Amino acid sequence: MKAFKGVFIANYKQFVRDRGALFFSFIFPIMFILIFGWAFSDPGVATFDVALVDEGSPVTAGAIEEGLRQVIIDDNSVFEVEAGELEKSLDSLRNGDIDAVIVIPGDMDSSVDAHSPDNLDVYYDPSQTYNQQIMVPILNEVINQVDRIIQGAPVIINLEEHSIQTKELRYIDYLVPGILGMSLMFTGIFGGVPVIQQRQAGIIRRLGCTPLRRSMLVFGDLVFRMIIVILTAAIIVGVGRLIFDVQMVGNWFSLCGIVILGTLVFSCIGYLIAAFVKTEEGAIPIINAITFPMMFLSGTFFEVTNMPSFIQPVVDVLPLTYVSDALRQIMVDGVPLHSMGIDIAVMAGWTAACLAVTIRFFRWD
Amino acid sequence: MNNQSGTVISVSQLHKSYGAVRAVNGVSFEVHKGEVFGMLGPNGAGKTTTVEIIEGLRFSDSGSVTVLGMDVSKDVRSVKQRIGVQPQSPALFPTLNVREIVMFFSDLYSKSIPASEAIALVALEESSKVLVKNLSGGQQQRLSVALAFINDPDIIFLDEPTTGLDPQARRTLWEVIEKFRNAGKTIFLTTHYMEEAERLCDRVAIMDHGEIIALGTPRQMIDEHFKESAIQFRMERYPSPEALMALPGVTSTAEEGEEIIIYTNNIPAAISALLNLASASQTEIHDMSIRQATLEDVFLKLTGKRIRD
Repeated sequence: MKAFKGVFIANYKQFVRDRGALFFSFIFPIMFILIFGWAFSDPGVATFDVALVDEGSPVTAGAIEEGLRQVIIDDNSVFEVEAGELEKSLDSLRNGDIDAVIVIPGDMDSSVDAHSPDNLDVYYDPSQTYNQQIMVPILNEVINQVDRIIQGAPVIINLEEHSIQTKELRYIDYLVPGILGMSLMFTGIFGGVPVIQQRQAGIIRRLGCTPLRRSMLVFGDLVFRMIIVILTAAIIVGVGRLIFDVQMVGNWFSLCGIVILGTLVFSCIGYLIAAFVKTEEGAIPIINAITFPMMFLSGTFFEVTNMPSFIQPVVDVLPLTYVSDALRQIMVDGVPLHSMGIDIAVMAGWTAACLAVTIRFFRWD
Repeated sequence: MNNQSGTVISVSQLHKSYGAVRAVNGVSFEVHKGEVFGMLGPNGAGKTTTVEIIEGLRFSDSGSVTVLGMDVSKDVRSVKQRIGVQPQSPALFPTLNVREIVMFFSDLYSKSIPASEAIALVALEESSKVLVKNLSGGQQQRLSVALAFINDPDIIFLDEPTTGLDPQARRTLWEVIEKFRNAGKTIFLTTHYMEEAERLCDRVAIMDHGEIIALGTPRQMIDEHFKESAIQFRMERYPSPEALMALPGVTSTAEEGEEIIIYTNNIPAAISALLNLASASQTEIHDMSIRQATLEDVFLKLTGKRIRD
């Protein structure tokens, strides 16, 4: 116990003097949350500026204008409608001053009266994906409704939306658990580095002259890292909450459980590296080659369902995929630990496999 | 320990090979309580391997080692509680300071002396807040020595403790070692400095090629190998060994770098003959000194090498 205390204090002192470790554990994740949180914060629903060019069909034009004005989301009008001339409006569209130009042909009113189909033209810039994905469907819907009203057709089937999520998932809600998972990965895998450094510097050999069990050296470091990650988790969740109002729906004990299990998985990967790599200079590039791809492929920042299908099997074996998934389930949906069997099983499997190979090949000197 | 109450280390028929290399080849010796025991030998002689087996850092292929009445291969942790070790390279956490390192080591043992006492022992008080990586080589060495004393051990192993120390620090450390011995403790010392071995060691063992080739007190060893005194000098043109051996009373000769040593039991006759030899061959003698034979001479005679080689 006395030896454990000694190792623990030694680790603590070394950690607080290691600027790199402090940065990676605390500053790095917060930076990511702030940068990605602000850069990709949900814009709500943007306002679209629409020029309405009426070429002589005031009734239809009025109905469409009215229809556009009635599209309201979160107390805000979605469309800012202005009357305009065709050429000027198209220029504004090209300059990016407005988002769409709707041209109502002069014969529209008479076509409506005659119940004969007619076209109206909508100009927009499809390179703005937001226009294509959001504005055009809404415009379509508005025109359809106006069409139905003019024709006097009743609405028979109405879509009523029900979310199966207990809570609306914003990007930041997705991001924060991902960043926490990433931190566990870095802190855990970098846990192999002191072992390599101390072995390289002959410190482990020197301590072999004392009654200290060498396993205690690693164990003390592991326990210290567990405390660091719990602190990191508290900071990440705290910053998420204070700045972006990210809720922590689940149970704190469950979160700590996954944080500790996740750190264990990654620490064992770190020790596995230490079993095969003798020098710090050799280990760092290997760690980078493992951690950075894993960070992206495990959906830390964005869901990976959009990736090419040949990547998917890789995604499915990466431990971070499951750690982040478990953290997300707890934070976003409040899922209890016993309902995350697969996540926990994969983490346990990775831990056991890495530990087995490490024990087989690891050398203290 | 009954009938050999004075023995704290007992090594018997120790063998250790690395592949085809026989690092330790049948070494046996005993170390008595309260003595300073020195182990000398050229690099690669097997000293370090022998010492590391005694300390419980390595396992032998065969043979037995008993330390403080305990079998090292069985009670290694109990042995380590009661010995202090200063290995050749300090190898300490670079970002801890002197005091923190000493505190850390005292946590590793069931009993320990106060940290400040250990630091004072090697006169590092003023550097106690300095990080290990910012210490000079000599300071790191002294810190390493302090750590060997931290558990108030019964036996202390010092591996070249004064290498890299300035003469002042060396003398201070010698005093620490003598004080420790006077307290009835045992010191196992390996060193490159013959002067140090002669001054500190009660007995020395000389190892070469994995075997102990001589063991005894420094005085015994010198007397046994040299009744003569040594004349050491440089000569512009080397005389033949036969010519040197023919000088009065000369029993043996040796070369040490550019210098020639002749051992003779008739100093005045040998010197005048040597001067005659020089003038006859029209060469000059430089830097001549006459001295008693030392442990260095014994070492040179037995191993054919200077210890620093």
